[in-house]
Amino acid sequence: MSQLRGIYCVWRRYFAVYQKSIGFGLITTFAEPLLYLLSFGFGLGSMIGDFEYHGLHITYRQFIFAGVAAQTVLFQGFFEAAYGGFVRMYYQRIFHAIAVTPITLSEILWAELLWDASRASTAVFAVFIIGCISGDFHVLGAVCALPVVFLCALLFAGLGLLTAARSRTIDEISYPQFLFVFPMFLFCGVFFPITQLPEAMRGFAWFLPLTSVTDILRAFTLGVPCFILSPFIILCWLVGLVYCARRAMFKRLVK
Amino acid sequence: MQAAMNELVSDVSFDGPTLAVEELSKCYEVPGQEPFCAVRSLSMNIGRGECFGLLGPNGAGKSTSMNCITGFYPATNGKILIMGIDVQKDPRRARLHLGVCAQEDTLDTDFTVLYQMVLYGGYFGIPLEESERRAKELIEKFGLTEKVNEPAETLSGGMRRRLQVARALISRPALLILDEPTTGLDPEARRVVWDVVGEFRKAGGTVLLSTHYMEEAQRLCDRVAILYRGNMLDCAPPMDLIDKHAGTEYINEEIRPGVFWKRPPNLEDVYLKLTGTQLESEAQ
Repeated sequence: MSQLRGIYCVWRRYFAVYQKSIGFGLITTFAEPLLYLLSFGFGLGSMIGDFEYHGLHITYRQFIFAGVAAQTVLFQGFFEAAYGGFVRMYYQRIFHAIAVTPITLSEILWAELLWDASRASTAVFAVFIIGCISGDFHVLGAVCALPVVFLCALLFAGLGLLTAARSRTIDEISYPQFLFVFPMFLFCGVFFPITQLPEAMRGFAWFLPLTSVTDILRAFTLGVPCFILSPFIILCWLVGLVYCARRAMFKRLVK
Repeated sequence: MQAAMNELVSDVSFDGPTLAVEELSKCYEVPGQEPFCAVRSLSMNIGRGECFGLLGPNGAGKSTSMNCITGFYPATNGKILIMGIDVQKDPRRARLHLGVCAQEDTLDTDFTVLYQMVLYGGYFGIPLEESERRAKELIEKFGLTEKVNEPAETLSGGMRRRLQVARALISRPALLILDEPTTGLDPEARRVVWDVVGEFRKAGGTVLLSTHYMEEAQRLCDRVAILYRGNMLDCAPPMDLIDKHAGTEYINEEIRPGVFWKRPPNLEDVYLKLTGTQLESEAQ
């Protein structure tokens, strides 16, 4: 059995669980971004109207749609890996059960990360469909953005798995959630351009991964230019978080 | 005969020991202190069809040894060969010959009894139809037919344990590792596990068993090793250990205040004598 086959077998296990409750899974995957779109895109968006963004006249709905796509990558990737990963590792002991078969722990952890990223990408795909139907996204841009979305989802899955590996109890997951994930959600350009932030906060916002993810998704879906360092920032966070998450999980499981 | 044997063990052609452990040590780094060694220079050879028992109190190093043998923990020193394959160098190939029933409940509670066994077979590269056929055979053997389509989480503790042993056999392993397999089982369920272990051995399978039940070790094991704080204190067939450490004379034991009965010495006396002696010598 090759490494890829091992990873696929475990990924397939996750998919089988998802298939079992596909109705519920789809509702939760699609409902959250839809609610944000309805509330901020159609509700708040109709009050704010047009504004200029990178020299382009866009509606607030167009602006927020791309932000909601980025927020969906963050939440779906992080929560599936942090809470789902913790439950599978600690309560269900799935990793222990599979790691004594010909599939190695390294392959199990890759499968975990890839599954979390797959699930988050599916949710973003739903946002893209709505954006394209409502005419707020460039269809070609949205299609081209999908591989980038998967990499960004892998980044936040890495953050989630790192959190799961470092948490002694499931309650401890809420610390990074409130101290890191929610501030990112609020200050990384999802709801307003980060140029509105005070100068001192702007540099810090650019350092956080969600700012670059939001920036790059807007570039794809709205056709505006992105910050030249955004792909580099995403790549650095991706490599760093995936490496740290796998290392922390190995350290926790293998004595 | 061969067909019956193949139902539980697929590879009976290897001539060497099914499991060879040479000078296995497992030490953990403790910040600011000397490394703590959970297993020290453990060596054993277990031949085909043999049942080998590991006995010892909590913290003796039984589970750590087993985790090293499965390749889940890297060994600090030593070599572990399963069917001649080095577990540390080639865990994927070595584990093809391995079935593990861990001490903890590791059942996949997301799935039914049947599907989780089929899925587990998939981890060994067994085709779906074949995996399903084997799963149904094992489910019947372990008396779980009525629960075949029930979610695993709805099973009683005893049934879950039986299912875990059954799942370990799906790949028809040459070596079956059972870490306290009958803990929490009622006498009837325990007997089912014992019978299957016997059948597995008759088919040429090898068993490495860890247990707290002396009666179980005495009944199932050809040889028993008594571990204490990572060291193997002695290793021999149960009756030899009893003769050597507990003698042959009947023991007069007070079972209730004022009530005595005479019984022959057993493995528990050996266990208590060896591990008790260790405790005393450490206290001095």
